[in-house]
Amino acid sequence: MTDVLSLVFRTFVSQTKPQKEPAVRPPSAASSSVLLVGDRGVSSSLLLLAAVTAASEMGIRVAFFTQTQIQSLPETLRRCKTTFFYPRTLDQLLLHVASLHESPTPPALIVVDRLESFLRDPAEQSSAAHVSALLCDTASFLTQVLEKRGSGSAPCRIIASYLSEADANKDSEDLSVTDPVLDVLDRYFQVRCTLDRDRGYEAAAAAVQEVWHVYLSGRGIAEASSNKDWEEKHRAAQEWKLLILPDGVIEFNSV
Amino acid sequence: MRSFLPAVAEQLFGDIQQTYHDTSQIPDDLLIALKFVFGSCALLALDLVDQRSVICLSSPSGRQAFQVLGSSGRLYTCFLSCHFCPCPAFSYTVLRRTKGLLCKHILAVYLSQTMALTLQETVSDQQMSVLLSGTGAL
Repeated sequence: MTDVLSLVFRTFVSQTKPQKEPAVRPPSAASSSVLLVGDRGVSSSLLLLAAVTAASEMGIRVAFFTQTQIQSLPETLRRCKTTFFYPRTLDQLLLHVASLHESPTPPALIVVDRLESFLRDPAEQSSAAHVSALLCDTASFLTQVLEKRGSGSAPCRIIASYLSEADANKDSEDLSVTDPVLDVLDRYFQVRCTLDRDRGYEAAAAAVQEVWHVYLSGRGIAEASSNKDWEEKHRAAQEWKLLILPDGVIEFNSV
Repeated sequence: MRSFLPAVAEQLFGDIQQTYHDTSQIPDDLLIALKFVFGSCALLALDLVDQRSVICLSSPSGRQAFQVLGSSGRLYTCFLSCHFCPCPAFSYTVLRRTKGLLCKHILAVYLSQTMALTLQETVSDQQMSVLLSGTGAL
């Protein structure tokens, strides 16, 4: 999944600022599941960007799960191989994901927007573990299917967003380090992508609406960077800046 | 199952597999090692294996999952590639208290596979989806 995110950052990179040459990470099983943690609005936008980029630039089939009906889809998404599912409950989400193996055209990217909306309140760790494990197991199976078919889309990737109700009202830097549900999710998702709002003067100085720091961390990143040459060369690829311009356009800057 | 286990556990399963294949028994030293690594659920898991309680379910799509008949008579569905069990022990001991690596059901799956004692059963794709989701009929 970090390969898709890297491609999103590269595709929507700011044209007004000189950039370091960002590399697209090769897809690997070690980094094929990403948990997005941070502001819900920005997370949802990033998930949709990931879906659009994966479908249009990489030509892979996407399954997008969200509780919130999307009123109007970008033309790109309507034309591309993206299927939207709108489960209302955790049980419906579980059944939809569990049924993906029945599809004759399985997805190579599974997106789940706002996991917290499917988990009971107060969210139970077991429910979080079940949906996470099912996502991972499903992705593992679909990876085998895609590899057998020689489609070139493998591995099957997962990206989900999560923010607890308690943390939704806090600044990003105050995000709870003891959220038990997040601890469970970290067991199954190999990479965490943290969105941290920059409240400094840069946003005002640059005349952008919002500036967010995007950090990639977790054991999936550590494994991918275990090669020293790779680590030195691509350390900067683990941190980006996300800019939301006054007209709503999103751009990325490498750090 | 792709491994979420420490290397010592992987090594232990490898030793058990070799020894059981040769002698149809697990020697005391490996039993002691099993208990040392996995704690009290080791013997309980071995009981489940002895009772042939582990089933590998397959469906026409190729999807697979494990079902374990627990000591209470309840069936627990576990995944092939990562650790999850709907039993209370997994929820409490593994997730909440982070005191155990596995519950007895997941350990029974590992041991059953290692010792080639897993039963095989076929279900339809739709039945597999319901089992994986843990929802029953909606």
